[in-house]
Amino acid sequence: MNIYVINGPNINLLGTREPEIYGKETLKSISKKCIQQGLKDGHEVKFMQSNYEGEIVEWIQNAITEKVDAIVINAAAYTHTSIAIHDALKSYSGFKIELHISNPHLRETFRHVSYISSVVDAIVAGLGADGYSHVIELLTDLQKRYKQKK
Amino acid sequence: MKNKQVLIMNGPGLSDLSNFNEMGYGHLTLDIVRKKCAETCKIFGLTMDFRQTDDEAELSRFLQDDIEDFDALIINPAGYSHSSSVDFTIYSSAIKMITRQKKPVIEVHISNIFQQGGENTKPIQVPKCEVGFVSGLGIHSYDLAIRAVNKKLRKN
Repeated sequence: MNIYVINGPNINLLGTREPEIYGKETLKSISKKCIQQGLKDGHEVKFMQSNYEGEIVEWIQNAITEKVDAIVINAAAYTHTSIAIHDALKSYSGFKIELHISNPHLRETFRHVSYISSVVDAIVAGLGADGYSHVIELLTDLQKRYKQKK
Repeated sequence: MKNKQVLIMNGPGLSDLSNFNEMGYGHLTLDIVRKKCAETCKIFGLTMDFRQTDDEAELSRFLQDDIEDFDALIINPAGYSHSSSVDFTIYSSAIKMITRQKKPVIEVHISNIFQQGGENTKPIQVPKCEVGFVSGLGIHSYDLAIRAVNKKLRKN
């Protein structure tokens, strides 16, 4: 299975940015774990991060043309603002999961709105950096279910 | 060492899961979910108590008193904000208390609650508490929650 893990703005600061909320693990370490977990299950994981909304939109469009099987997206702050990412995800018909390290619904009210939640299959939040590897670990089973759904 | 105890609590309305079949999550019954949870818990050496109630008094007894005997809570509150009589404060006050004791709490939903128009079910809101959230993975929402709880319990 081909999997894109797409990360949005400020995620590159993981480990140093508000560690009481986001934990001490760095993005590099998370990326390594995701790729390793993927290899174990026979998946090819491409792990990406950008601070630019347009670049994230282009990656989602690439996922469409390259027929990527699943997208795991932590759009970070763009979750609460980006109609462009909403539209791009809507056009992508593979399996898609919205992921957050913290639980946005327990934080400031401006984080309670997600433009992404309604166009993805599932949401995983508040499980810390471990959320990534848990999702990759389950993707084989999840994809099976998703194929049955179609 | 004694196994860690996990309470998997299913709220009012979850005795019948047939509507999830129409939503594309496959044929599910609470018993199928219970069996899958038991399997996953067994893999990780967790002891599980899987409960469901439609009764508000019983629900608050489970969450406020019985929780003493458990190390973690996985909770599917279903549609507490439906027009049902279930009072949201049962969830919020109990969860606040449980997270203060540093016990992992994860909210799960079978379907993606944001695809249903969003009016019927809203995430539990207990500000500044640490609560995990998994929604839309079908029966695997529970599976992922159990894995996450196991990881958290082993870290503590």
